[in-house]
Amino acid sequence: MIAASEVDTRVDLAGIPLRNPVLTASGTFGYGTEFADFLDLTRIGGFVAKSLTPEPRIGNPPPRIAEVSAGMLNAISLENVGVEAFVAEKLPALPEGVTVIASVFGTAPHEYAEVCKRLAEVPRVAGLEVNASCPHVKSGGIEFGQDPRVLAELVRVVRGAAVQPLLVKLSPNVTSIAEMARVCEAEGADGLSLVNAVQAFDVDVETRRPVLRSPTGLGGLSGPAIRPIALRMVRQAAEAVKIPICGIGGISTAEDAIKFLLCGATAVQVGTANYLDPEAAGRIADGIAEYAARHGFPRVADLIGALEAWPV
Amino acid sequence: MRGAALRADAEVVLQERESGPNRRLRLRVEGWPGGAPGQFVMLSPGPVQDVRQDDPLLPRPMAIFRELPGSPPEVEILFKVEGRGTALLAGALPGQRVRVLGPLGRPFDLPQPSDHVVVVGGGTGVASLFGLVRASRARQSVVLGARSADDLMARADFEACPVDVVFTTEDGSLGERGLVTAPLERLLAAGDVARVVCCGPTPMMRACAERAARHGVPCTVSLENHMACGFGVCLGCAAPTPSGRYALVCRDGPVFDAAEIAWEGLP
Repeated sequence: MIAASEVDTRVDLAGIPLRNPVLTASGTFGYGTEFADFLDLTRIGGFVAKSLTPEPRIGNPPPRIAEVSAGMLNAISLENVGVEAFVAEKLPALPEGVTVIASVFGTAPHEYAEVCKRLAEVPRVAGLEVNASCPHVKSGGIEFGQDPRVLAELVRVVRGAAVQPLLVKLSPNVTSIAEMARVCEAEGADGLSLVNAVQAFDVDVETRRPVLRSPTGLGGLSGPAIRPIALRMVRQAAEAVKIPICGIGGISTAEDAIKFLLCGATAVQVGTANYLDPEAAGRIADGIAEYAARHGFPRVADLIGALEAWPV
Repeated sequence: MRGAALRADAEVVLQERESGPNRRLRLRVEGWPGGAPGQFVMLSPGPVQDVRQDDPLLPRPMAIFRELPGSPPEVEILFKVEGRGTALLAGALPGQRVRVLGPLGRPFDLPQPSDHVVVVGGGTGVASLFGLVRASRARQSVVLGARSADDLMARADFEACPVDVVFTTEDGSLGERGLVTAPLERLLAAGDVARVVCCGPTPMMRACAERAARHGVPCTVSLENHMACGFGVCLGCAAPTPSGRYALVCRDGPVFDAAEIAWEGLP
């Protein structure tokens, strides 16, 4: 029996060395400094910052969030400070030793490329995550990540502009996650993050209006409600590609995170749980090491894909 | 720069019926750094238990009603049972634990002792104002409104303060029948009011802000938007500003000058 403190928790996510496999998800962790009172950011593998666009974005009118069974809906519309303010103000405010992955977003492939180029010479940015879940105007408002040809073009353009390791964050709003994963791998992505929020809708029966005030009333469902769907998609993607996967979707406990590792994820991202408990990611990182020790795994990396099959 | 906020699983020391659907919850919070009037906490929806609880999911923002010194200090919250989260919170028994995050948000600026300030509270908004009324050295006129006498929270607490308190109820069961705006208008007409401070339902705050503005009196409001986190990351509590941007109620407020808010865009 080994002690949790003796477990080697390090993993390599697509060329990004992480002290442990627990990251926090873009859009749920601000720019990191908001958590300073509650969590030592060097206790977790790192964090994915709020998605950046070339210029600042203001976001949707309220109501922007609503609670649903075991989850929440959001329609923030990628409000962010813009890439310049991120580099000039947000990054320098972070303590040393914190691993930062920048999330990149745009309304056209060249905007994504612009953000990647701006970040190319910024050493604090350890990796890039392409948020491919934005509606793409030219293809009739469908998300970049919902059409394999549109996704392929986006990854190709971004690959040409990116210097740091490149993750592509996939939408769950697709028929075949395996096909989308293969497209990204073929276009040179170093890794995948999945899943983004599940497209959803809810109604306030008193006002007879959508609960959210986004232009369509649609929002993204996140939280424990989506976890089994996310786990299924991570498993299917892991079977389809060789590049590493970062699992996301309703992870609130170490047990949840371990399920994603067993299904083939190299690392995980904690999202909505950060709102409930800003210390959640730290607690999950500790719990994974304790699990590894209890089950006799000297390295957390040994848990990746260690799902056992039923005997036939 | 405000002091650090704390995340703690606090022990319930008192849970009692306040009035009508309202409850009084007192928590013993190890390491509580002390808040200022107008600040709030995020509370878990119900007690923290050994088994996981995913539904309801989000913590609830609650005004700090008052703090009781001691070691450890205690924090008192008044809340209305109106949904599943608050119903579970009402069932948190002494000895059980509730997750607390706080103190959060921008507090009230205390008025000048020489000023006459009108403090207007409606519904659960009353709870946000008690700390201010107790801490302020200004001459204060307090107007508290509720649907009925039974709905009004903290009546005895306010009556024990050395301030003038006027009650209004929509059914006339306590004080004046009607809305808080009628006594507010009378007080404003006297001409010596330096500021109005208001917390309650959005239409009430908007009406108070408009009346104060008509008399050229500045108005401070404390907003009560929904939020998922309470510390500036979910961006769910956005309040529109006249410049076409958004302020975050949790980080930039909950206390605002009424002129900082574009009321027509607030849900």
